[in-house]
Amino acid sequence: MKEPEKRREFHLTFRVLTSHSALTDFLASQNISANRIREDAEARRNAANASNAQSAGAGPSSTAANGDAAQVAEAEEAAQVATAADKAAEKKRKSQAAAIDKIKKSKAFKKRKRQDEDSDSDGIAEAILAGRAAPLPGQMENCEICDKRFTVTPYSRAGPNGGLLCNKCGKELAQDNKDEKAQKKKKVAARGTARRQVASNRLDGVIGCKSLMTMCISTLVNNIDLADDLGDLPDQIVDRVARQVAKRRILTPMSLNLFLQSGYENVTVYDSARLGSDDLIRIFQMVPKLKNLKLKNAIQFKDEVMNYLITRKTPLNSLYLHGANLVSEEAWKQFLVAKGKQLASLRVYFTDKHVGDNFTATLKETCPALKRLKIAHNQQVTDVGIGHISELHELEHLSIQLITPTSTEPYVKVINKIGKTLQTLSLTGESIADLDDRVLDAIHENCTSLRKLRITHSEVMTDAGFVRLFKNWVNKPLTFIDFEKCRHVDSSKPRENAHLNGLCSDGFRALMSHSGKSLKKLNVHACRHISREAFEDVFSLDKEYPELENMEISFCEEVTDFVVGCIFRTCPKLKNLNVFGCMKLKEVRVPKGRILVGMPNAMGMEIEGTED
Amino acid sequence: MAEEEVSKYVTLISNDGFEFVVLREAVLISPMIKSMVDAKSEDHFPGQVMEKVVEYFHYWYKNREKEDVPDMDIPAELCLELLVAADFLGLDKQT
Repeated sequence: MKEPEKRREFHLTFRVLTSHSALTDFLASQNISANRIREDAEARRNAANASNAQSAGAGPSSTAANGDAAQVAEAEEAAQVATAADKAAEKKRKSQAAAIDKIKKSKAFKKRKRQDEDSDSDGIAEAILAGRAAPLPGQMENCEICDKRFTVTPYSRAGPNGGLLCNKCGKELAQDNKDEKAQKKKKVAARGTARRQVASNRLDGVIGCKSLMTMCISTLVNNIDLADDLGDLPDQIVDRVARQVAKRRILTPMSLNLFLQSGYENVTVYDSARLGSDDLIRIFQMVPKLKNLKLKNAIQFKDEVMNYLITRKTPLNSLYLHGANLVSEEAWKQFLVAKGKQLASLRVYFTDKHVGDNFTATLKETCPALKRLKIAHNQQVTDVGIGHISELHELEHLSIQLITPTSTEPYVKVINKIGKTLQTLSLTGESIADLDDRVLDAIHENCTSLRKLRITHSEVMTDAGFVRLFKNWVNKPLTFIDFEKCRHVDSSKPRENAHLNGLCSDGFRALMSHSGKSLKKLNVHACRHISREAFEDVFSLDKEYPELENMEISFCEEVTDFVVGCIFRTCPKLKNLNVFGCMKLKEVRVPKGRILVGMPNAMGMEIEGTED
Repeated sequence: MAEEEVSKYVTLISNDGFEFVVLREAVLISPMIKSMVDAKSEDHFPGQVMEKVVEYFHYWYKNREKEDVPDMDIPAELCLELLVAADFLGLDKQT
């Protein structure tokens, strides 16, 4: 009776054993575990054994021949069978517990646990285990969505309720998910761009609604290719369009035509980098009445352009050339000889060779009517060249920014000779680092009609000099003052300033008491020896600076929250305040409509006014 | 452009006969119209342009308290005429 059973058992074992190499691999590739088959078989075998034992036990008891002994044997056998069944169950439980433990450690579990915190952790693990027990590849299953029968493959997707999906429904679901993700990503990107745009607008001083004109101009510039002609827009709008076009770097030989109308007197090209010499010559051909010409990045403004200009009868009286480094000294001279008489304004930026001392020397003879002269980023003009400027008696606006170091004397000479009529005096750049208080004294003595004063990067001028300049100065209050980086620098003793070099507390007090009434723009960037007391005095609440719109106090170390608060209260028109590097600022309340740039906090560049 | 006294609204009439009824407070953004609201004045712009101008009045009125405002949509073909209108009406200032 036990014979066939034994054979079957042998047979089964044999099958399992022989299948181990090739078949197991195949099954494993199909996600079927040989182990599991073996366990199932074992469980079946145990169950069969148990039933056999029962029937076998029934046999001897019916004969009742062996009496007690047989009963004992039967009981023992039953117990044995029971322990075998128990063992199998135990094993199963253990393996399940092990699987659950493993699941509990897995990522998927942790994720689900996070999703619903309060549910029982064993429950989740069991659910995952049950999910794993879903139909295996190769089996047939009903699709969860369309209910069609389909063959499960390793690539079958799980449906929203945990069942499997047929190929078609799975694809559709995947597509939906993809779209959703793409949309999300896009949204995030859009939000990022918008935030950057808002920050950029704030730095430009734009809060809230843009004006209709601003929006029209940006639309126009976006579609600049469609425009044939700007019509008869007023000059200041043409200028705004030109600025926007340059900002987007779309000023090409094509779009240049928009700004060249025969009736124009002003041509401003803020970015000529993409224009060739021929395009620049075209300006003089198409705009015969040209009076004011302003070209930035005019790299291709060469001798041939200058020579063409000389031959024309263009009534030019203002020339602004930026980056025209290829015009030779000879061509400059010819230009000044031919056109100098009518020239009232001459501004030359970024030249390294051909605008030098000879250039300034010829100005006296060739440009008797020159009112405005600016030489910036220049490498050739020296003390001698500056001396020549003192001969230009009509000059009202003078700006110098050189590279080669210069000394005090020529500047004093210039100020002594022509200071009386000067309205603008701007001395900037590293080349004036050694200028001393004599320049300030000369300004105090001679200048009576200044409105704009800029002296930067001076490390030798002293606080006392600035006090002498502003104290009892007959000049009317200024509207623009810039003393950027007039401060003492010593890397070994950064806080000490024994001789009070640069603009310090008393100079600042004197400045504000002289010019505070009409000052529109003030820059004391990095004048770091102005004390907190001086700021508090100057901006104490009984004072008012009614015109001040723009102020730069970056890197003034002593500026505190209180000082900034006082500044906003005492300057009703103040729109923009820069406070980069004022590390004592913690939390400033900004009145509505004002812009504070450069707060040293992680929130970003700026806090915009919200307080009333 | 004509005006209706007493009312909360102002009627702006374009030179080709379109009429726009606009909230009086909203048109005050334009110093030009503000001065015209008292005195009768003749037509200046075609309806299409006027429509956009009026749209801007309301756009401005709706968003005047806000900080982060999306731009108004301006059709490219109208923008030159609209620019002239904006200049004429003094709509070049913020706020």
